[in-house]
Amino acid sequence: MVGLVVVLLMCFVAVFAEVLAPYSYTKTNFSRLNEPPSRDYWLGTDQLGRDLFSRMIYGARISMIVGLGAQVIVVLIGVPVGALSGFVGGRLDLVLTRLIDVMYAFPRLLFVILLMSMLGAGLTNIFVAIGLTGWVFIARQTRAQMLAIKEKEFVDGARALGASRLRILARHLLPNALTPIIVSVTFGIPEAIFTEAALSFIGVGINPPTPSWGQMVGEGQQYLRTYWHLCVFPSIAIAATMLAFTFLGDGVRDAFDPRQQ
Amino acid sequence: MATPPITDQQMDLLAERLGSAGLGRRQFLLVAAGLAAMGAEGFNARPVSAAPKLAPGEKLAKDQHFRYGGGGWYQVNPSSHDFNKDLYCQGQLTLFAGLMKFNADFQAVPYMAEKVASNKDGSVWTFTVRKDTRWSDGGPVSARDFEWSWKRQLDPATAAPYASFLYDIKNGEAFNKKQITDASQVGVRAKDDWTLEVTLEGPRGYFPVLAAYLAALPAHRASVEKHGDKWTEAANIVSNGPFVLESWEHNRQMVLRKNKHFYGAKDVTLEKVTIPIIPVAAGALPYDNNELDLTSLQVADLKRLQSDPRAQRQVFRYPFPGTWYLLPQATKAPFDNVKVRRAVAHAIGRENVVKVAQGFALPAHGMIPPGFPGALDDPKTRSLQKFDPKLAMSMLKGTPFEGGRNWPKIVLTMRDEALGAKPLAEALQSVLLENLNMKTELEVLEPRVFRERLWKQDLQFVWIRWFMDYPDPHNEYFDTFYGKKTTGRRQAWTNEAFDRELEAGRDTRDVKKRLEHYAKAEEIMQTDVGYVPVAWVVRYGAAKPWVRGIQKNKQGELVVEGNIYVDMLPHLYVIERV
Repeated sequence: MVGLVVVLLMCFVAVFAEVLAPYSYTKTNFSRLNEPPSRDYWLGTDQLGRDLFSRMIYGARISMIVGLGAQVIVVLIGVPVGALSGFVGGRLDLVLTRLIDVMYAFPRLLFVILLMSMLGAGLTNIFVAIGLTGWVFIARQTRAQMLAIKEKEFVDGARALGASRLRILARHLLPNALTPIIVSVTFGIPEAIFTEAALSFIGVGINPPTPSWGQMVGEGQQYLRTYWHLCVFPSIAIAATMLAFTFLGDGVRDAFDPRQQ
Repeated sequence: MATPPITDQQMDLLAERLGSAGLGRRQFLLVAAGLAAMGAEGFNARPVSAAPKLAPGEKLAKDQHFRYGGGGWYQVNPSSHDFNKDLYCQGQLTLFAGLMKFNADFQAVPYMAEKVASNKDGSVWTFTVRKDTRWSDGGPVSARDFEWSWKRQLDPATAAPYASFLYDIKNGEAFNKKQITDASQVGVRAKDDWTLEVTLEGPRGYFPVLAAYLAALPAHRASVEKHGDKWTEAANIVSNGPFVLESWEHNRQMVLRKNKHFYGAKDVTLEKVTIPIIPVAAGALPYDNNELDLTSLQVADLKRLQSDPRAQRQVFRYPFPGTWYLLPQATKAPFDNVKVRRAVAHAIGRENVVKVAQGFALPAHGMIPPGFPGALDDPKTRSLQKFDPKLAMSMLKGTPFEGGRNWPKIVLTMRDEALGAKPLAEALQSVLLENLNMKTELEVLEPRVFRERLWKQDLQFVWIRWFMDYPDPHNEYFDTFYGKKTTGRRQAWTNEAFDRELEAGRDTRDVKKRLEHYAKAEEIMQTDVGYVPVAWVVRYGAAKPWVRGIQKNKQGELVVEGNIYVDMLPHLYVIERV
């Protein structure tokens, strides 16, 4: 429940960033650099005299876009691959499962960094990089569901009634496999957000001046001893978001999974 | 004897040698400047004595223990201290002593050699090795050690990555490339224990300069033969420099002791040196905690130390003259329009922008930093690209971007580096947005990729610095912006009149007239906006009040250890704390 509230709040902030932020995220004030929190600047200013609070609000937007956007790509690749693999079976299954295994063998973050350095930094490329590396888990899960469900009696029933393979797949198998997919998407979102933060932290993520939490932490950490607020507030934002999504994921799983109740 | 003449072809060869060792143009030019400034004594100029010069009331501390590092110094664990095999081993720089060394003005002076002489054209060099210095195990440092060491570096079996550094030695290249197998044909030979004769592929008037580099340091034969790759571990190492390696806890710290067998030991005051291996990110914390006596400073710490009444006197600037500037690429839209370039030039409030560098940059209105020959500080130069947002916007009249509209996608590119470069770039982005409504995206490239694309003049808008190599306007203008340069040219912008001024500056002897040419060149370049000067670089270190003996160069600036000047430690001493 807490998770859901925080997540909804984040979404709200992300959508209405323009209204909520007291300043523009590019507005600099060179005579007020690195100021600690004050009445003018609620969370202080950064090394360019920009309002940290406003930048964090816009940062939330980036995080949400990345989190959701990347999951869309993940689902668009992962679910069809998993479904085909599990449903059709045979040689196609063999090939696809091997592909998934190969993808699994790559250390995820390193692979993403590799892709980013090939594609270049930028929001779209982050989608692509996270999407291209993130679909394997969901594919594997979908496949497992397919294998389990396609042996169920109601599928036999549908087949006996003469339903086409496509109809069985779309009307009977996928809807029944939806729950684990939704759960894994909810867990995938924070992972994507964190990956973006990590990328921006090391400087291959979002290009300045667009604010991103990871980038803010990365730039702030060298000033940790002198200007603590630069690093601490965005870190808290990342941590809170991760935690909220994890709670939400747990909640969704509990709600959908009757066996655990 | 007089130094043999060094021709231009020879200078090109020197550059190639240094280049093969991974040393850039910058290092080459530093050395070249040292060569040019050498007096009548040539390579036989005496090094400065390292003996302490105590001020009245100062007393040497009983415990001559010195600790330094941090802020980028010794931030990675050395792969070894075997400079003879790999000059980039990141080892400690004072363990070994070569035939020559560089002084604080980057001139090569004798070190293990007592005398340097050459035949008339400089194709055969004779180094007389001093008899009064020994390895740390007590054995003599002889000419044979250098013969063996240089042949070891050239030996293909050693697989030394920068062996080509010694290709000037006769048959060195052939031996290294396995075209000949007989090491005795390589042109380095100990005529007796104390005379090293080096026969070169041809006249090489600069050879003593090579002999002063890290790559020409010796290795201890018996240790190498006994311990192989492990010979520079603290337990095994035998060295001939002013210090010996007492302990080396990998990834933690190195401890040096004075080498009592070193000939200059009586002038070396420090008894023990501790060098912790710490990442830049640690900042000045170890220095604050009194765990270091000398450190290099990063942005955040400078500010803090300067605001501390006690610590602020410990902070010093050290030479790193350089200029940060913007390059609007004159071949790429929208900067192919000189009006746009002028708009950019006038849109930047440099006084404001440099604030974000917090002391590591000063506002620049020209290429040459103040205090250096050719620096311009007249109202006219200052007004060429003066900050005037209204004027900047009015420059756009009649262009497709009038009123700050219709900008295409603009990417500002810089290389990945520290030194507060990124905040400066972001500050520039913000003023361009504010004053010209010009939206830019900042792209930070890995240094190698950056350089490649830069030299192809493939980047649209570049944020870049030039570090001065030697104090002469020729370096700041000709080496940087000359339009007829065929390699390493950063900008597509060229200008006939500008090039003519540079040529005139190069060929004029009269100092005053020369500087006039360069002043004219600056004016042309700023008016036509070949570049937009933004900031002059400054670097800082901090030394505790009890640290003495940091050498000064001819400009009177303190010089600290680097990859050319490695002679800092022998000059240092610690005084009694008060």
